[in-house]
Amino acid sequence: MANQEGRRSQLLRGVLDLCLLAVIEEGPAYGYEMTKRLRGRGLSIVGEGSIYPLLGRLERDGLVETHRAASNGGPPRKYYSLSPEGVRVLEAGVNEWKVARDAVDGALGLVKAEVLP
Amino acid sequence: MSEFIDECRREWRRLGVPDPVANEMAADLTADLEEAEAEGGSPEDVLGNSVFDPRRFAAAWATARGVTGPPPAPDRPSPWRPPVAFALTVLLGLVTAVAALMLLVGRSGTSIAVAARRFAAAPGPFRLLRPGPGPIVVPVPAPFTATRFAGVDLHPLAVLVLVAGVVGLGLVTFLYWTRRPGFRRHHPDGGGRSPRWN
Repeated sequence: MANQEGRRSQLLRGVLDLCLLAVIEEGPAYGYEMTKRLRGRGLSIVGEGSIYPLLGRLERDGLVETHRAASNGGPPRKYYSLSPEGVRVLEAGVNEWKVARDAVDGALGLVKAEVLP
Repeated sequence: MSEFIDECRREWRRLGVPDPVANEMAADLTADLEEAEAEGGSPEDVLGNSVFDPRRFAAAWATARGVTGPPPAPDRPSPWRPPVAFALTVLLGLVTAVAALMLLVGRSGTSIAVAARRFAAAPGPFRLLRPGPGPIVVPVPAPFTATRFAGVDLHPLAVLVLVAGVVGLGLVTFLYWTRRPGFRRHHPDGGGRSPRWN
């Protein structure tokens, strides 16, 4: 079981940035809001470590833009939105993912195995 | 969770993260944690397993953002430090010994000169020998002649020099000890400085 989690973690690690960019594409969001969006899509990547360092790297690389705005009754939050470069990287990344996924499906798709949630 | 935030702040300070940036990150994190708590969630919902290692989390975040300060100076001893420390120790040791000798021998310049003559011409094991019979005339260096220091009380000066020598020796030992390789690794706060974040 631990091995399964380790493999899942490794598989996700390479696409975490794409997943974050994808949920930001929905609309500007602050850190915890992104975590909730990811969870809503069935991804609990925060369990592998916080998303904050990853957000920091995206910001440093110029893939996201930030601004401060008031949240619902709470303190002002730092909202992240995609930069033009972020949009380009997301589109390229999604294409790369699909190519890789199809190739892996070609290799593993013939194996008869019960799919576990 | 304030302990977690405090620990993060300490790590950011250690890494040289500018205060405004650290304050911003702390505020964002606090707001997210409070929102999760208000929704009935736990800190793990926000931080994942990072909740167990705040320093590592803080360092990873700051590094990813590229807001860490310049790296700390390498903990490498200067090649000239040991010889300089040795020379200082010898010098201060000599000064201290001379001052102690002055205090032991006598209180005035006259008694120093007399004591020096008596010591050189003393019988037994202290007697200085030379070829041939007759008493020994010990030349006393000019600075110690009775005429030069006659009536001058050197006792206070000797006390001052002795105290200065002992303090200097202590200071050299302390500086050499606290700046030796490895001391800063075991005392990351610089050996007693209080943290700015509190």
